Amino acid sequence: MHNLRVFAHFIRGSFLAVARGSNGYYIWLLALGILIAFGASAYHNQLTHGLITSHMRDQVSWGFYIGNFAFLVGVAAAAVVLVVPAYVYNWGPIRDVVLIGELLSVAAIIMCMLFVTVDLGRPEFVWHLMPIVGTPNFPHSLLTWDILVLNLYFLLNWFVVTYILFTAFKGHKYNPRIVLPIIFLSIPFAIGIHTVTAFLFMGLKTRAFWHTALLAPRFIAGAFCSGPALIFLIFRVLQKFGRMQISEAALFKIGELLAYAMALNLFFVATEVFTEFYAPTSHTIHAYFQWFGLHGDASIAVYTWAALGCNVLALIIFMVPKFRLNLLVLTAGCVLSFSGIYIEKGMGLLLPGFTPDSLGEVYVYTPSLNEVLVGIGIWAIGALLFTWMARVAIAITKGELRLQRS
Amino acid sequence: MANGDHEPDGDRHPPIQLTIWAVIALAVVAIAGLFTVRLEHHPESTRDYPPRPLIADGEVTLLPAPEVPDDYLPCGDCHDDVERETGPTPRELEFEHEDTKLAHGNLWCLHCHDSANPNNLRLADASLVSFEDSWKLCTQCHGRKLPEWRAGVHGKVTGNWRGDREYVTCVFCHDPHSPPTKPLEPKPRPRRPEEIVLRADRSGGA
Amino acid sequence: MGIFSRSKQAQEQPNGASKGSSRREFLKTAATVGAGAAVGAPAVASAMDFDFESFMQKNFRELSDQELQAVIERLERKYSKQYDKQVDVSAIGPMDGVLYGYGLDISRCIGCRRCVYACVEENNLSRDPEIQWIRVLEFERSAALREIKLEDGNPYYDHEQVPAEGKFYIPIACQHCEDSPCSTVCPTGATWQEPDGIVVIDYNWCIGCRYCMASCPYGARHFNWGEPNLPAEDVNPDMHIIGNVPRSRGVVEKCTFCIQRVRKGRMPACHEACPVGARKFGNLLDPNSEIRYLLDHKRTFVLKAELETHPKFFYFWGTEGRS
Repeated sequence: MHNLRVFAHFIRGSFLAVARGSNGYYIWLLALGILIAFGASAYHNQLTHGLITSHMRDQVSWGFYIGNFAFLVGVAAAAVVLVVPAYVYNWGPIRDVVLIGELLSVAAIIMCMLFVTVDLGRPEFVWHLMPIVGTPNFPHSLLTWDILVLNLYFLLNWFVVTYILFTAFKGHKYNPRIVLPIIFLSIPFAIGIHTVTAFLFMGLKTRAFWHTALLAPRFIAGAFCSGPALIFLIFRVLQKFGRMQISEAALFKIGELLAYAMALNLFFVATEVFTEFYAPTSHTIHAYFQWFGLHGDASIAVYTWAALGCNVLALIIFMVPKFRLNLLVLTAGCVLSFSGIYIEKGMGLLLPGFTPDSLGEVYVYTPSLNEVLVGIGIWAIGALLFTWMARVAIAITKGELRLQRS
Repeated sequence: MANGDHEPDGDRHPPIQLTIWAVIALAVVAIAGLFTVRLEHHPESTRDYPPRPLIADGEVTLLPAPEVPDDYLPCGDCHDDVERETGPTPRELEFEHEDTKLAHGNLWCLHCHDSANPNNLRLADASLVSFEDSWKLCTQCHGRKLPEWRAGVHGKVTGNWRGDREYVTCVFCHDPHSPPTKPLEPKPRPRRPEEIVLRADRSGGA
Repeated sequence: MGIFSRSKQAQEQPNGASKGSSRREFLKTAATVGAGAAVGAPAVASAMDFDFESFMQKNFRELSDQELQAVIERLERKYSKQYDKQVDVSAIGPMDGVLYGYGLDISRCIGCRRCVYACVEENNLSRDPEIQWIRVLEFERSAALREIKLEDGNPYYDHEQVPAEGKFYIPIACQHCEDSPCSTVCPTGATWQEPDGIVVIDYNWCIGCRYCMASCPYGARHFNWGEPNLPAEDVNPDMHIIGNVPRSRGVVEKCTFCIQRVRKGRMPACHEACPVGARKFGNLLDPNSEIRYLLDHKRTFVLKAELETHPKFFYFWGTEGRS
């Protein structure tokens, strides 16, 4: 009972921590609020008229929403990659900031769930998927697996974060016997959620572009390029605006990790290109569309080459010590890496899978304004949730938000 | 968290760590198990239907051939006239039959029609068949079509797949003087995906 | 007093907020959130028409006989009223000893698309946005030493007369695969194969995730992107609950071999409409059926055999002919 009262104070304190801040903070909230309002309005438009407000059609039945979903699952998984050096190798400089990574995971998973929800034709019937009340086609359908593991992963991260912050709020140290097993569990879980998401695509034998064993390793490699890059950028922002102390050693370590990840990712790209173009089959037409376009429309190809450029540039920055150890250049490298993977794993994954479609038709899909607005709205929601959680976390770790016994 | 100590020293209190792991594993299994509660609804399962025997089969009937145009019948009325010579050599047709397009391989009128018995058709062995049984003449040369036509694979069987059904004779689809089926005007093409847009009036439903 | 406190340095905030204002801030934020929810919820509800019974309806495979009867009556009432016709919704089950198969003679098909439109009328397909369950691909014959692929097919041909010179036609709809990828991937179990071989969809159970569409190798599944438009005068009132009942926005639909017809012994609408007899249909388990005859006597092939979906739609050449 006592704990419940204390938890209520924790909630209240958290609420106050996010309700007050500098002018810059309010402007940030306002900007996000505007984007969310646009997104909500666009989603209302979609609910009113149907998914016809998107540019998805029978020929390309998944697009912008699922592309973002696939990318964000990677971000959620890779946020936990920092956990490995922090706890397994007991590396102090990263231990201090691993909590931010967990918070990013939570925000990313929420964004994933939102992206899937807005993609549904009848979201009000999503209860059909749930056990007991619905009839989930488990274990045959990979989507049911995905929902299961994403929710479990979300709960794991949510529990760890809340527990650590709550105990710190109370002025105690968290009990490693509770936290560490869960953190250790979250490492294979992180790989697991992203592998299940990859299986979702790989399990479709009709989509030759995805029906490859390489997709799961590529997903992981891409995740490790984008997740830590985003964490790096967030750290920089928190250093500047969040009054957070982050050692340079931690930041440079992320840069080092990214070097390995990006090298691996580019290696996978090279193996894909070799397989498709050295010994072409009728399936190569999807890769051809990805790199060169089809039927006079090369818009996707521009993005593919741009992504490659970003990634190669990012690799150079991560690998060359002169660049990696320069915070400004490293920041640019992280922006490049994040953008490159966003293109590669978002639309760069979805579109070539569907173009040409099962009957060989080429419909070049680009997201509609409505889709993009909904997507921006969801990213803004994620940013908002992350901002609020980070504010609470920072306030607690800095000792500003504490339970006071009178 | 701020006091960076600690390696995981679970060995000092193994039962607690073990308990945590066990609880986590149990939770995962339990939640996964919940999903399998409806395992019987996998793709192979269907509704519990009561037995329903095959409905009765029906009769197979051969529909009568379409009528020959009235003004040509009966052929014998004109071709009885001794003065209308029925020449055996292929030539340009005149008078009544100039509107008959003849394009049946290298066949000519008297390959199928009999000059002495204009109200009948003539088979290869010189026996006569009525216009009603013209299929017997067609299948003399187009022998392969006969069993296929009977089975429904050539041409079309209308009616029910289980129940009464009908066949039609060759001349129903094929003009015997110009047998290849005529081209048709196709129905409109489907909408392209980019042509499928929200209707201008933005109204829904019927 | 203060169960909540801040350390000394934190109290000196740039905007000098005092303790008293914290309560005001709290109330302000709470009010904004509450207002947002109050505006948002009815807006969302209004965007979706809410029918409680239909919302709570179970998966078709789980309905008891009484529940199914209630559903049928509700649908008949609803559609009779909506379309101003006496609508009959059947839930007739499969016959024993029947496995439907379809044959298509590509030496005969002239690409006239009468099957496409017969299907549209029979199965109450949306006119605008247009949905067609059958797609006829036109191919160029003799690809000059190069193989013919599906990419070479053109569904948008627009000639004055068909068949066009040098072309042949392949109509494609649901193949009712014995090992259908769509029923495997559907997360809610809204699509499955019936005992008589027809792959069906429970339109009320589908959540519109379109995973099945991603998995179908034949482009046979179609989505209601917008509100379907079905003029009352065009409605076919002889319906089957997992066949040709009008669908709602946001669900997937496809050919059902005209389940409302074939389970009563009738031919599918496309079969009846074909003017050249290119379509064959029957019971694969009956050795005397026309479908078995063509499997026994003609060289048949299926589309994308390498995917091992085992379609029950067989293409063949009935004749050498001029095609």
